[in-house]
Amino acid sequence: MSLDEPVLRFHSVAKHYSQPSGGVLKALDDVSFEIAAGKKLAITGRSGSGKSTLLHLAAGIDIPSAGAVSFVGRDLGALTDRQRTLIRRDDIGLVFQFFYLLPHLTVWENVALPGWIASDRTFEERGRKLLDRVGLSAFATQPASTLSGGEMQRVAICRALLRKPRLLLADEPTGNLDDDNSEVVMDLLMQLVDDEQGALLYVTHSEEQAAQADERLSLHSGRLERT
Amino acid sequence: MIRYFFRALRAQLRGGVLLFALSLFGVSIGVASVVSIQIINLNALGAFRGSMLAVSGSADLILLGKMPTLPETLYPEVLATPGVAAAWPLYRVDVTLRDADPIVLEVIGVDFFTAIDVPWEGEAVDVSAALGQSGWVAVTATLARERGWSVGERLSVSIGTRTAELVVGALSDFEKATPLASPRLAVMDIAQAQSLLGSRGQVDQIDVKLVDGVDEAAVVAALDRKLGTKAMILTPEQREEQAADLLSAFRLNLTALSLISLFVGGFLVFSSTQAALVRRRTEFGLLRSLGATHRQVFGLLVGDVALLGLAGVAVGMPLGYLGARANIDRVSATLSNLYLLEEIHQLVVPPWFFVLGAAVGLAGAGLGALAPALELGRKDTRSLLAAFSLHARVGEKAPRWFAAGVLCVLAIVGVYAVAGDRWRPAGFVQAFLLICAIPLLTPWLVQLATSRLPVRSFGLAYGVKGLGRQLQTTPVAVAALAIAVSMVVGVTTMVSSFRDTLDIWIERTIQADIYVSTPSRRRAASHATIGADVIERLKRHPAVTHVDRLRQFFAYTNGRRFSLAGVDASVPVDRARFALLEGEVEELPRDSVLVGEPLARKEGLHVGDDLVVDGPDGPVSFPIAGIYYDYSSELGSAFLHLDTMTERFGGGTVASVALYLAPDSDADDVVDELRVAFQATPLSMRSNRGLRERAMQVFDQTFAITRLLRYMSLLIAVCGVALTLIVLARERTSELALYRALGASRLQIFRIYLGKGLGIGAAGIALGSVAGVAFALILIYVVNRAFFGWTIAMHWPLGLLVWQSAIVLLASSVASVYPAIIASRTPATELRREDL
Repeated sequence: MSLDEPVLRFHSVAKHYSQPSGGVLKALDDVSFEIAAGKKLAITGRSGSGKSTLLHLAAGIDIPSAGAVSFVGRDLGALTDRQRTLIRRDDIGLVFQFFYLLPHLTVWENVALPGWIASDRTFEERGRKLLDRVGLSAFATQPASTLSGGEMQRVAICRALLRKPRLLLADEPTGNLDDDNSEVVMDLLMQLVDDEQGALLYVTHSEEQAAQADERLSLHSGRLERT
Repeated sequence: MIRYFFRALRAQLRGGVLLFALSLFGVSIGVASVVSIQIINLNALGAFRGSMLAVSGSADLILLGKMPTLPETLYPEVLATPGVAAAWPLYRVDVTLRDADPIVLEVIGVDFFTAIDVPWEGEAVDVSAALGQSGWVAVTATLARERGWSVGERLSVSIGTRTAELVVGALSDFEKATPLASPRLAVMDIAQAQSLLGSRGQVDQIDVKLVDGVDEAAVVAALDRKLGTKAMILTPEQREEQAADLLSAFRLNLTALSLISLFVGGFLVFSSTQAALVRRRTEFGLLRSLGATHRQVFGLLVGDVALLGLAGVAVGMPLGYLGARANIDRVSATLSNLYLLEEIHQLVVPPWFFVLGAAVGLAGAGLGALAPALELGRKDTRSLLAAFSLHARVGEKAPRWFAAGVLCVLAIVGVYAVAGDRWRPAGFVQAFLLICAIPLLTPWLVQLATSRLPVRSFGLAYGVKGLGRQLQTTPVAVAALAIAVSMVVGVTTMVSSFRDTLDIWIERTIQADIYVSTPSRRRAASHATIGADVIERLKRHPAVTHVDRLRQFFAYTNGRRFSLAGVDASVPVDRARFALLEGEVEELPRDSVLVGEPLARKEGLHVGDDLVVDGPDGPVSFPIAGIYYDYSSELGSAFLHLDTMTERFGGGTVASVALYLAPDSDADDVVDELRVAFQATPLSMRSNRGLRERAMQVFDQTFAITRLLRYMSLLIAVCGVALTLIVLARERTSELALYRALGASRLQIFRIYLGKGLGIGAAGIALGSVAGVAFALILIYVVNRAFFGWTIAMHWPLGLLVWQSAIVLLASSVASVYPAIIASRTPATELRREDL
């Protein structure tokens, strides 16, 4: 693994799903791109264009039908499920459109969850700092279910960044927020990624948000177009 | 909608075979527990009822001797009573077959020329042979087949130390008339029965047929005047009720224990219905939005439950029958050892029993599904289509439920304070309140315990902590397990305490070195006596220093039958012969009586009161000098000095003797020597140690069925743990997928579920142990005293309880393995918005 190695590389990646009718659905077809450390890449596309599939492949949640997805030079398709899980745990942060905070945990516990999963005791201080940074320290002991949408997404960002991931994947991070909250959350996300020097791959419908990225790609029916 | 029901059912079964199987298992075992106990209860009196109907089926009245026999001279007087159309005397004696397999023959001596109608096997029998041939006896064809006998077979029998030779003269078929009649009924001429096996001039019973249309009460009053205290006048129905009363406590307690299994099974139905409701909420919401009425949707859920209940009945009924069959011997031993009733020879299940089984299964399943079904009823279409937040609502209600649980606990204390052990149903009311309190207390306690649990890692502790946050499902499993554990702890503690108490009691009261009685003593009571010559020979053994003699017969006080024993208490002993609950006497006083605790409790007797016993010439009164602990039988007993008994009730022979040996003698060696010396005499000899061992064997046999029942409910509860965790794994798919997306390994998720299983197990054990202590207190201080009249000293079998808890914890962990595997296989791609 060289220092110049991109954090994430898609090389002629295809993902096909067998249909009950016997046909094949091409969710992604011949997709290639890469993203280096410290860079931000935005992906736009309509619903059903393959954005979620792309993010799943990038996170190692799924593996491609053809081509290769490499994370810092390691072919995710060649790894076992356990190895991909460990990469996700240690080097990838995920931010979801619907936040996916666990309602029965407190705000701080939600942020701390990746640390618990990794049995990493060093994260506690960092978790508190991140919460402080997003202005939610005062809510740390409250159940996550009591927060507003914007606050929930800020907590989700803290959770994603807790273990200093090399790659942050965000699936329409503001898709479920109003305009004001969208702006706050997006700015926060950009700032934090800059501070952490990680790579960011995010999917968005918003042209304005896409414009904030260093590079922008567009998905149409599973095929990628550079914009 | 019916078509949709079956379409949806097929899909549901395909998607949740294991859930259905676990729920079915719970209902089936619950039904099986209840059905097996009810079959046993039903048949426990079957042989008694069958034999009574076979012999006295055509009688309108039965006159039973109270002393315990009646002088034969009363028979003409009965016959001459106005309103009596016919009467026939009976002499009943249970003899022991002197064989390698020494069964008891229930010999009935009858006058073949009176109205009694013996159903013969095959052609009618010439009864003149019965009179002419010595020892002529008719045995049932069933017994003859079983033993390989045919007409002409010679049978050697004993009654007390007397022996007699009987000859099979004919075969009867009582089962033809009354299917439950004991196959061990044997009929012979009354005069022969009296001379060979009993005493001349005495009969046990006179059956009476009344003139058609006569006033029964007037005839009873006339007979009562003639017979006085010598006989008890009963209709066949009253005779049956008498036996039923005797067994009522035994049967009621078994029924109550079996209902706990059904109750625990209901929790499984609750869990699975709750899960179905959560799983199918969108489906129900969609159906409602498409125009299905609330009743139709409700009907879908009720249909599922009804089907589950019926399937549970279909599996549970045969299981229950097999369970009853497997336990016949144990219950029979209890019936004959503790209640001196006929053993169960065959099981008969009447058709109405299937209706009862179906009702029990459907009611159990219905009650289990009631709360989730009502929950569905409260939902409108919009909320059905929206995400559920049931656990949040349960969380809000938990403190109120806890308060209700506390009220139940206070009510238990209140019932004890008001009724103590005086009101019989009090124990069951308290047990019911306890069983209600457990599920009410559980959610808040689980919430409280888990909220305090520090979590620093993603593993077992995280899994346990999650239990308090999934209150819609986990408290149900915890409560079900806690109820089962409480039953195990309570019954184990009661049985163990009883065993220890019995052990100490035996140690205290069995002081002689050797006890000698006869094989027929237990059943034949006063007929089974030891000849004076035998006692003299026993005395002559060089090792024997003293001999205690005991005469015993069944007497009546206030209409209650009890064992009255006379003891020759002249032998000096080191310690007091009786362990006294009330009173202070070292030896048996001459003119007063010592009363056993069960009889004292049932009759409300205390020291200073009089025990009034029906004597040969009217009631005989004895001042009560003491109440002694008595665990020998539930019937009740009292002790008199042998001389006093002879004075008041006339002379009689002794039923057993106790031998005291010289200090350097070995009791077992002496028993061996006596057995050789008395080889030809039917004697039953046990050393002090042997008698204790036998008493403990009888005790263990008596409680064997309760052991089975408590472990059945535990098995259901452990299945409940598995079911709950499977439901959780299915319901929380998105949560699990999120963990996987965040990098949690399969092993970590496996550990979380293992932690949940352990958590449910530990919480169930903790709650169940506390409730079990209360259950044990209720059983020992209320139920046993009120129903059986036994004082039991509390002994905590800590080692056994810890061992049982470890087994429950292990079982909970094992039950969580499969759900943990399912949970760990959840892929990160299952992350869906609506579930989080």
